[in-house]
Amino acid sequence: MPRLQLGDWINSGVNWLRDNLSWLFDFISSVVQGMYDGLNTVLSGPEPLLLAGILALLAWWLRGLLPAVLAFLGFALIDSIELWGEAMNTLALVLVAGVITVVFAVPLGIWASRNRAVSALIRPVLDFMQTMPAFVYLIPGIFFFGLGVVPGVVATVIFSMPPGVRMTELGIRQVDAELVEAADAFGTHPRRTLLRVQLPLALPTIMAGVNQVIMLALSMVVIAGMVGAEGLGSTVFQAISSVDVAMGFEGGIAVVILAMYLDRMTSALNQRVSPLARRALAKEKAKALSGLKVLRWRPATSVAMVGVVVLALVAGGMSMFGGDDEGPKVSANVGKGQSVNIGYINWDEGVASTFLWKELLEQRGFKPKVQSYDVGALYTGMAAGNIDFETDSWLPTTHASYWSKYKSKLENLGSWYGPTSLEVAVPSYVKGVNTLEDLEKQSSTFKKKIVGIEPGAGEMKLMQDKVMPGYGLNKNFSLVKGSTAAMLSQLDRSYSKKEPIAVTLWSPHWAYDKYKLTKLKDPKGAFGKGDHIDSLARKGFSKENPQVAKWIKNFKLDEKQLTSLESAIQDAGKGKEQQGVRAWLKQNPGMANKLAPVPGGADQKGKDAGAAPMIGYFPWDEDIATTYLWKNVLERRGYKPEIKQYDVGSMFTGMSTGQVDVEFDGWLPVAQKQYWDKYKKNLVDVGSWYDKTSLELAVPSYVKDVKSLADLKGKSSTFGGKIVGIEPGTGEMKLLKGKVLKEYGLDKEYKVSDGSSPAMLAELERSYAKKEPVAVVLWTPHWAYSKYKLTKLADPKQAFGAGNQLHTLANKSFPKKFPEFNGWLKKWHMTEKELATLEQAIQDAGKGNEEKGVQKWIDAHPGIVDKMAPVAS
Amino acid sequence: MAKLRAEHLYKVFGRRPDEAVAQMEGGADREELRANGTTAAVVDASFAVEAGQIFVVMGLSGSGKSTLLRMLNGLLEPTAGRVLFDDDDLTALTPKGLREVRSRKISMVFQHFALFPHRSVLENAAYGLEVQGVPREERVRRATEALEMVGLAGWEKSWPDELSGGMQQRVGLARALATDADMLLMDESFSALDPLIRRDMQDQLLQLQKRLKKTIVFITHDLNEAMRLGDRIAVMRDGRIVQIGTAEDILVTPANDYVASFTQDVDRSRVLTAGAIMSEPDEALGTKADDGTTLRTAQDVLAAAPATVTEGTPIIELFQPCSRSGVAVAVTNDDGALTGVVTRARLLAALGEPDVAPDGDQPPAGDTPDAPETTKKVITGA
Repeated sequence: MPRLQLGDWINSGVNWLRDNLSWLFDFISSVVQGMYDGLNTVLSGPEPLLLAGILALLAWWLRGLLPAVLAFLGFALIDSIELWGEAMNTLALVLVAGVITVVFAVPLGIWASRNRAVSALIRPVLDFMQTMPAFVYLIPGIFFFGLGVVPGVVATVIFSMPPGVRMTELGIRQVDAELVEAADAFGTHPRRTLLRVQLPLALPTIMAGVNQVIMLALSMVVIAGMVGAEGLGSTVFQAISSVDVAMGFEGGIAVVILAMYLDRMTSALNQRVSPLARRALAKEKAKALSGLKVLRWRPATSVAMVGVVVLALVAGGMSMFGGDDEGPKVSANVGKGQSVNIGYINWDEGVASTFLWKELLEQRGFKPKVQSYDVGALYTGMAAGNIDFETDSWLPTTHASYWSKYKSKLENLGSWYGPTSLEVAVPSYVKGVNTLEDLEKQSSTFKKKIVGIEPGAGEMKLMQDKVMPGYGLNKNFSLVKGSTAAMLSQLDRSYSKKEPIAVTLWSPHWAYDKYKLTKLKDPKGAFGKGDHIDSLARKGFSKENPQVAKWIKNFKLDEKQLTSLESAIQDAGKGKEQQGVRAWLKQNPGMANKLAPVPGGADQKGKDAGAAPMIGYFPWDEDIATTYLWKNVLERRGYKPEIKQYDVGSMFTGMSTGQVDVEFDGWLPVAQKQYWDKYKKNLVDVGSWYDKTSLELAVPSYVKDVKSLADLKGKSSTFGGKIVGIEPGTGEMKLLKGKVLKEYGLDKEYKVSDGSSPAMLAELERSYAKKEPVAVVLWTPHWAYSKYKLTKLADPKQAFGAGNQLHTLANKSFPKKFPEFNGWLKKWHMTEKELATLEQAIQDAGKGNEEKGVQKWIDAHPGIVDKMAPVAS
Repeated sequence: MAKLRAEHLYKVFGRRPDEAVAQMEGGADREELRANGTTAAVVDASFAVEAGQIFVVMGLSGSGKSTLLRMLNGLLEPTAGRVLFDDDDLTALTPKGLREVRSRKISMVFQHFALFPHRSVLENAAYGLEVQGVPREERVRRATEALEMVGLAGWEKSWPDELSGGMQQRVGLARALATDADMLLMDESFSALDPLIRRDMQDQLLQLQKRLKKTIVFITHDLNEAMRLGDRIAVMRDGRIVQIGTAEDILVTPANDYVASFTQDVDRSRVLTAGAIMSEPDEALGTKADDGTTLRTAQDVLAAAPATVTEGTPIIELFQPCSRSGVAVAVTNDDGALTGVVTRARLLAALGEPDVAPDGDQPPAGDTPDAPETTKKVITGA
């Protein structure tokens, strides 16, 4: 049997179309994109709950009160699981695709119903459209329309067209022939017969078709997430490719809610548009029991319209006056809002490097947009110019086929990680299997299966063509094709049951962290040499955007950096990749500037720009606040500050030996007196920046009769004999244990528990919520005083000593090493209000987001940077 | 002058219809054509309908009567032949001209009413006017009048599915009447109704016809209905018209066995009239009256006869008198002059099966496009 090159012919046909009809595709593309953008803006614009209200009102009009309430709850749920934006994208996609489909399907159906030849011609075409696997449309879709919404819409239109056409044709054919003849017999023009007799009577069937169209469109739109159509499809696709049950379920639920809403609304729409159904509805209404009338009552069309318009106006007004959301922290506006499209494959190293660059580019004032793609789609999209760059090309082996096909349209920005390896892995509990040769001997153990990944993946081709024949595995093993997600979940299941399993895997991969796996050795080198991970860009990108290209070219991560970045992202959780990146950047201070150095710089540089002072800090709120504040300011001035947390003792020793250059939280003359006295010969007091401090014990104000330290006496049972302390090495704790308790005769009665400031605050929070008595070690300034009602216990004997000032302490060499910074610090002063608001801002931003909090505070205090760190211009 | 004239109409379905017509004109049989996959639904039909007449086309299902009817208003285009309406050739009209004729001059009533379910009764009745482009107010007025005419005043706002079958057909009738068309085509319009309602509708149609004097072509498969309504009746079989004539013509002198067998079940006593079966007055002369005197003159006959009737009296009314007396019943004209007599023997003979005219003195209808003027009107219950 000769091999018909059917696929090749189609392929060359598609190529020909792309080359010769590009004007047409561009036109379609811009029309569809325009429709989508318009609708999406309208849907995404208003407050979620307001739009949910509008949608619920529509449900009320179409179906009644109960469905309206359910619709509202459903949409509120979508909002609450933070998929509102995605859901609206999807809704916009479905509606655009639905409208286009109906616009084509109904006339086509009418034509088919009036002309047997057309009907006979269309039928097989429709069969073809409907039964061709939906994915297949996506491939030429990308070719013709690039990545994103448009191919998704086009594929959806094709996929959902058939029921629209069929039901229209059927509906019109079903209209009683005698009625059509009657119209004819009275001399009706055929067009009028169609419009006034056939269509109205066929409407219920046509509307059933429209309902089908919408439902199919919704299912297809989810699939279209694979080619970069925004929305829930993207969410679900992401969840699948990372085996994320939680995310998958949430995305799925949102799809279900949308589907139910659309289904019920379109089927109910029939009752409003079709004259026959309207009559049936009126009859039913007349029959309704009086008791249920309230539930059955529905606003008349005019009332509903008025309601929708009013809500829409409110929504419009709100979005017009609504606050703009908080933008990313732009540390140096190099990009000036220029947009960059980054594509990525949903593999961990791809996610990590992509979101790292997203964050970096945002910091540099670019507007990067990231979107995940299937491998093939990524390459075609980049070759077509829809994607600017990506950072996850495994070359020269794994992605060889893509690279050789598209290299003329791509540029290689160099490798940032390597070498990688491909391998077959088995759990370590499977003993005696260490090499691929061992595997061959134990086929029965593994049930003759090696669990593979996507059939299109380079590793799979390599397995089939080289590795399996090379080790004779093809006789006793079959390579299961599936997906990475399926492979990983299979691995997870077998691992938890301690069953033997062999999977195709690669390094780096987080699976090696999560499970104990043996990488099977490949003595024959069948997998070839390891790949390195390259960044590729579309042709011409480095010319158009030399700065970004340069950064990417110099981009390098070692294994530790990459794995720590990946785990930071894992820890941040799905959908918060960027927070993970930020946390990682924080742990790797200076990394941002190293990876994306600012040329020239937008903020004025200091004289000592490039200097890298090491700032130590205590985990106390005022110190965290000021340290991050200075970090931000110094970075703006071109410094590369590093910050590190210490406890008090090591801070002073570190500072005296020069490991730490400076710290801002020297409580002098009292609290840290002992340290200061001990190390002062190697230190220098740069100056005091805050002066109204005090140390004290505090109790909640609801604990009556305890106003001073003396009042504590005899009340140990009230407080469980415990004073909640902080870090044991701190001056205040030493002071408390060594002096204060004795002074007031409390040392027998109370035990001061060692711990930490956060633990103390947590204890305070818990007791406060339960209104239980508690005594804590505290100090002023502290935000706890603004959050809780606390009584500072008076210290008439001045056992805590006089109030402290907060001093900036530094290593002796600091003024010489960092003269400019030293000068700034000498003049630096903060008011109580400034400090309190800064601490509050950091509190509000939440743990791990200190920098965000600082940024917000700086934004709220224009000019503060220049005040703190003046630069002669 | 005939209002409507059909001349050698053919309708052939299937491939190459024109060839089939030529073959049939050359004497080919319908069965031969069927073997080739073509169906001749109507073959060489010719007839004329006078203004104000009810012309009934009667035949069993499949005899081509509905096809014939649809050629009369151009719903179907004849394969060959012409339809002349007021001497205009409908077959030569453009689709637009044809629609014009249908909307203004020829309206139609359907077997299953064909009311638009998404329109109210009033809107249905006004449909034809709407197509004509009559302004709303006038449309409503005329449709209301038409509904009143058929006895549906007060039902305007109802919907078709709320009405009984008979009422629905009245709406259909009103819809046809509202357009003021000269001609009504009625396609088995009463067949779907149950017998009592059907009789009512027939009566109502005849009543209306007295007032409106429309020209009506009425299709039915029910000979009794044909006899009741038809001024003239055409009997169709296998696409051909086998006989055209009055009800009596068909009863008394059926053209062939087929027509005769058709008439078997007809209640002849109600269809036949005294005029149709009477013999010359001479027959009674010389017979004896009940008192034994011999009847010598027409005056004697008139005096002795148990009853005196007109020619239009159905014979059912003669049985009673004949049973009382041996003297023949006298039949007189409008002036009271004796025109004939019906003897007891004659009366009994009339109820029996007629002999088929052996020499075809009643020629098959297809050959007589200009059928003779009707001489007698047969309307039962009149």
